[in-house]
Amino acid sequence: MASAPRPERVPRLLAGCLPPPPPPPTVGLLSMEQEETYLELYLDQCAAQDDLAPPRSPLFNPVVPYGMYILNASNPDTAFNSNPEVKETSGDFSSVDLSFLPDEVTQENKDQPVISSRHETEENSESQSPQSRLPLPSEQDIGLGLNSSSLSNSHSQLHPGDTDSVQPSPEKPNSDSLSLASITPMTPMTPVSECCGIVPQLQNIVSTVNLACKLDLKKIALHAKNAEYNPKRFAAVIMRIREPRTTALIFSSGKMVCTGAKSEEQSRLAARKYARVVQKLGFPARFLDFKIQNMVGSCDVRFPIRLEGLVLTHQQFSSYEPELFPGLIYRMVKPRIVLLIFVSGKVVLTGAKERSEIYEAFENIYPILKGFKKA
Amino acid sequence: MPGRGRCPDCGSTELVEDSHYSQSQLVCSDCGCVVTEGLLTTTFSDEGNLREVTYSRSTGENEQVSRSQQRGLRRVRDLCRVLQLPPTFEDTAVAYYQQAYRHSGIRAARLQKKEVLVGCCVLITCRQHNWPLTMGAICTLLYADLDVFSSIYLQIVKLLGLDVPSLCLAELVKTYCSSFKLFQASPSVPAKYVEDKEKMLSRTLQLVELANETWLVTGRHPLPVITAATFLAWQSLQPADRLSCSLARFCKLANVDLPYPASSRLQELLAVLLRMAEQLAWLRVLRLDRRSVVKHIGDLLQHRHSLVRLAFRDGTAEVETRGKEPPRICPAPPVSTVTGDENISDSEIEQYLRTPQEVRDFQRAQAARQAAMSVPNPP
Repeated sequence: MASAPRPERVPRLLAGCLPPPPPPPTVGLLSMEQEETYLELYLDQCAAQDDLAPPRSPLFNPVVPYGMYILNASNPDTAFNSNPEVKETSGDFSSVDLSFLPDEVTQENKDQPVISSRHETEENSESQSPQSRLPLPSEQDIGLGLNSSSLSNSHSQLHPGDTDSVQPSPEKPNSDSLSLASITPMTPMTPVSECCGIVPQLQNIVSTVNLACKLDLKKIALHAKNAEYNPKRFAAVIMRIREPRTTALIFSSGKMVCTGAKSEEQSRLAARKYARVVQKLGFPARFLDFKIQNMVGSCDVRFPIRLEGLVLTHQQFSSYEPELFPGLIYRMVKPRIVLLIFVSGKVVLTGAKERSEIYEAFENIYPILKGFKKA
Repeated sequence: MPGRGRCPDCGSTELVEDSHYSQSQLVCSDCGCVVTEGLLTTTFSDEGNLREVTYSRSTGENEQVSRSQQRGLRRVRDLCRVLQLPPTFEDTAVAYYQQAYRHSGIRAARLQKKEVLVGCCVLITCRQHNWPLTMGAICTLLYADLDVFSSIYLQIVKLLGLDVPSLCLAELVKTYCSSFKLFQASPSVPAKYVEDKEKMLSRTLQLVELANETWLVTGRHPLPVITAATFLAWQSLQPADRLSCSLARFCKLANVDLPYPASSRLQELLAVLLRMAEQLAWLRVLRLDRRSVVKHIGDLLQHRHSLVRLAFRDGTAEVETRGKEPPRICPAPPVSTVTGDENISDSEIEQYLRTPQEVRDFQRAQAARQAAMSVPNPP
């Protein structure tokens, strides 16, 4: 069980990590000491919330909710900046659109400690605690972004996950290693157990090999039972074997493409069998430069995913056009893998040359998806 | 100087290289005619070697607006005017088209692609201003295929590195609902079917919001959901008279195309509403079904936030029939012990080869088939 970090640690860290905020236009400059007192106020409230809700404030949760990505990605300055601006303008919220906030405080929402503490500070009217808003501006950004596509101006509308929120499920990993360093990095430091045992399964391997001899495709199509050859449609023989169940495209230059295997070894075995068939047909086939060109894997994270939210926060990597395709296309940079993410929670990973790339890509995407789990 | 050619005027070979205000010129020393103005050419040095330079290799392309680009820009403006977009949109769309045209891949593309590109530029402009234009609408206007449109759209977004926001659902609802011809009585629309625009709009918006919250919108085309929501909103505003009207008939008298998935969206939306109704005591006793719940949509929408929370408390939406099972560890895949270097038995390979007899039979059959095909009208 996570306990709130000792208050005295945090201000130092924050002071170290984040540069002092520039003076917001509408209020006076907050000194560092003032901020520390506000922080302690907030943390006291958090401690009081401990028995109400999971004592994990998003601020210190390594499994960063999507809100934190906004916070990390954007300049921490702005986060600090918007706090006093929002809170200190003595109740004048005209410049701030709060319609994303729920009208009723929910018990299930894991962001609750922050929200309820915020409500409390509102009620206590003017026991201002900018730090309590620290995670919220990030949500606000999302809220504002989403608000532009929000559907009505009803106050309580747009916290996308609000209605489907549950108690954090037991699968919530042992991320209680409150690594405060996780505040800054873009990719959270997640232990392997983060993925709670979901391993992507390989579905298809594409490999190529050079048989190093010119082939007579007509002869191959004539003498092999499992071959089809239609030169008008495609200039290669399509050959299939039953074990491992694969298909090969054999070109007259002697190059061959083998598809359909479920593992690298199976792909290699299948390619060797095709080479053996070609050998038996009388060609001096060899087995040169066997190379895996592409690996496709798939898995299921077992919770629905808010694709609209994901495309907003990871816009530079994602492409989501529901009019064209139901899934979100996420082009991960490191490793260079393309992921198709669907609302049901199924994920397809492709473009890998190595098995480890698929696993690494899934480990990178899983915490991001967890942030959009609206359950 | 010898070897430099002759002066075209006097025919002398005495050509001198001189410079006129730092521009080198080849001048005839007899008559003073300027033969060439040094390196001032619009093309590469090839021209100095008297070889013709193709237009695509010259810089003329970058300096002039080609006819095909002019045509494209005119099409962009026309499209903006047809769609009655604000004038600023026109300039933005034109700028995007020009920007795209600078890429050689676009310049050399087929006319069909350039035509679709016009639509893409207009669409991107509208999206960036939250103007609710669907891809289907653009494709209809351009007589283009949606697949062709989609490939070019994705390509151009990547090429120009643009950030295109998603379709604004609220605006789309307003525009789409306003296109329903139900707000005035007419020969085809009886009085009891006429509805007030504002009431219908607000209720449709609420229903679409509800659909969005309960996972009916993510991953799906937005329009059928809005059609279903409009229908339900219209029905619920006067259920006594309108329950008898079907979705297809509704779209027909409203003069709007019925998108195919709209009926399944309608069923899904009704299922969500039924689940919400279960949470209200006075509705639970009524034992509502898909038709009778329509009468209570007003009440359900009024309390939708708490009802949705209560109804979907276990975290899964109605349509996701995952149940309450705790997330279990994925079972390990069957471990394959293939190493890739096993011995391959001859018999296994031979099963894939034809025996000589089979080969002969096959060849005979092929020859017969060829003969049959070469005779156009076999007796």
